[in-house]
Amino acid sequence: MKKITIILSLSLAMAICLWGSGTWAEDVRGVTNNEVKLACLVDFSGPGKYAGPPLALGAETYIKYVNDQGGVHGRKINLIVEDNGIIPPTTLAAAKKVIFKDEIFAIGFNLGSSGSSAIIPLCEENKVVMMPHGANKRFYNPGNKWVFVPYSTQFNMGSRAVEFILEQDPKARIGIIYQDDDYGIDGLNGARAAAEFMKIKLVEEAPYKIGTIDMSPQMRMMKEANVDWILAWTYLPQTGGIMKEKVGMNWDVKVIGANTTAYRQIFPILGDLAEGYMAVTPYVPWEDTPQRTQDILQKYGVLEKVGTSPFPAPMFFGAWTYFAAMVEGLKQAGPNLTPETFVKGLEKVTNLDVGGMCPNVTFTPKRHVGYFSSLVVKADAKNQRFHTISPIKDPKTPQD
Amino acid sequence: MGSSFKVNYKEDMALFQNLWVKTWLVILILLMIILPFFLNRYQLSILNEMGIATIGALGLNLLIGYTGQISLGHGAFVAIGAYTSGLLTGKLGIPFIISLPLSGLMAALLGLIVGIPSLRLKGLYLALGTLAFGFVIEYILFHWDLTQGDLGMAVKRISLGQFQIKTQKQYFYLIAAFAFLAVLCAKNLVRSKIGRSFIAIRDRDIAAEAMGISLAKYKIMAFGLSSFYAGIAGCLAAHYNRWIVPGSFDISLSIAYIAMIIMGGLGTVLGSVLGAILITGIPHAIVYIVDLLKDTYPALSGFIVDFKLGIFGIIIVGTLLFEPAGLYGIYRRTKVYWKTWPFKY
Repeated sequence: MKKITIILSLSLAMAICLWGSGTWAEDVRGVTNNEVKLACLVDFSGPGKYAGPPLALGAETYIKYVNDQGGVHGRKINLIVEDNGIIPPTTLAAAKKVIFKDEIFAIGFNLGSSGSSAIIPLCEENKVVMMPHGANKRFYNPGNKWVFVPYSTQFNMGSRAVEFILEQDPKARIGIIYQDDDYGIDGLNGARAAAEFMKIKLVEEAPYKIGTIDMSPQMRMMKEANVDWILAWTYLPQTGGIMKEKVGMNWDVKVIGANTTAYRQIFPILGDLAEGYMAVTPYVPWEDTPQRTQDILQKYGVLEKVGTSPFPAPMFFGAWTYFAAMVEGLKQAGPNLTPETFVKGLEKVTNLDVGGMCPNVTFTPKRHVGYFSSLVVKADAKNQRFHTISPIKDPKTPQD
Repeated sequence: MGSSFKVNYKEDMALFQNLWVKTWLVILILLMIILPFFLNRYQLSILNEMGIATIGALGLNLLIGYTGQISLGHGAFVAIGAYTSGLLTGKLGIPFIISLPLSGLMAALLGLIVGIPSLRLKGLYLALGTLAFGFVIEYILFHWDLTQGDLGMAVKRISLGQFQIKTQKQYFYLIAAFAFLAVLCAKNLVRSKIGRSFIAIRDRDIAAEAMGISLAKYKIMAFGLSSFYAGIAGCLAAHYNRWIVPGSFDISLSIAYIAMIIMGGLGTVLGSVLGAILITGIPHAIVYIVDLLKDTYPALSGFIVDFKLGIFGIIIVGTLLFEPAGLYGIYRRTKVYWKTWPFKY
């Protein structure tokens, strides 16, 4: 009897606690009359820590520029840059911190696909608009009210790569080496879709597990399939492996990779071996930054900071353009800023010029991806830079 | 009040040994009930993580700390619990109240299977075997269409009939209740015949067998129980975070759990709780410190962020060097000090 009384009392206490803790005040988190708080989640401590500083610099520079113009509707932007460690558990912790502790209004940038996926429910529950970097088609198809991607996804770029190859060589025999995860598979699916659309077939498909550096088995598969173009949906170390194998095999095959390899870091890694390497990317080469944007970079000391270092410009531009899209959404939302008006504001962003570094951004209520287009760049090992060889263009292959 | 002679087995085996312990327990329960009214959502979310980690750590301590069987695959069992419940509630529409025990049972079933090699493997070899199991599970989660690859899958909210658990406060009460239950079960288990058999196997398995303890039965049982706890922790984590990705359950999770029980105190229930609180709390404490310093000393806060993992490692190495018995050792020493005060011994 005594035990039953204790159990019943505890159950009752728990039921009262659960019942009485239903809601909290529904004010607009992160917004006051003169400030709006935005978060930028980048990696300073995890496997993607090389990307953290240029991303943070891009976001901070753009927000300084906006605040110096008077902010948006009289509100200055308070940017909170937080380390997300790129992997899902640390990203979730960082998102909870900025939402619950710092009480931000929206997450303007989050580095990492799987980490971005992991925080979607948290963003939904708390009505936080989130812009994921490392985008995957799943972020806009079927789509989510709170997720906006001012970027081109791997699927789009995979399609663009195949179409570019067929423009150069309509009879090309194309093989693909891809990372065996959602990043690589999204690129593979884009390439397959374009191949089907252009009525050809990918001759060979060779996956590798994340972290693999030795690309010799995949390159042998490509050689045996007698391909003359290799699509490399890889990161820098694997691209390095492919280019080294190519030279080792004395094989004059053309290699075209993903945006994740269109960085100037490729030159210190590969030296002369980088010559002729091509990549599909949404961002123009650093040296081709339009003058109007260069003026801003000059004003805020970015050019000085970067100097002649092999700066990962796409990262800098990435954060810059994400916040440019977010700020445009804030403008479109009007002075009465709530999560709902902000979503509507973002959905009104049309053909937004984000400084000429990437395609213009357009969102609609049915399409939360900024653009499908990208350009193709080619490595110039001697001058340690990339040149644009095919301008910004949409893939012909249907992307929705 | 603190000391009493035990004059019979019943007293010696009692779950709560004296009035002092019972009083503290009541205070703790009351504190847990009123605590959420004084904490914000962020602080509650940290406590929720700690609660889930406590359940997982208890399971691993039963296996490593009490039975002496090394496992580097605990994260995989947490994943099995998470995905089992995610799939059962999401695809089959089974209510949480049923999927919770089922996720524990599924993890336990696989734990029993993984436990079979433990009859022939010991030490590093067993560690490698469990590590391999972890990699197999990770591979399956990455590549099976049902689990939706490395971007993961959504998990439903916890519903108890018409009532949905939504707020951090509600999750706190639920998770705290399960953590409390898990502690109670573990404490109960280790004082039973099963627990004493585990300890005998850990201390000297040949001697244990000579005394009539079936090594096969109890080793496999330890794996099953440990995995059951991990499965429950995984299920709660899945429904709490509402999204599961394979990247959340990799080798680093298994290592974190091992760190919890070593730092807390191997072979102690309280040690599992303290270790879970410490290991889960360190990254959050670093966040608080960085936030405090970032305006006044931006360079120092930047340094802390850069060397976050290093700081984490230094704390662990420091604790192991100066307190090999873990936090439980500190607790025990403090307790003895006050018990014998003002005498030194």
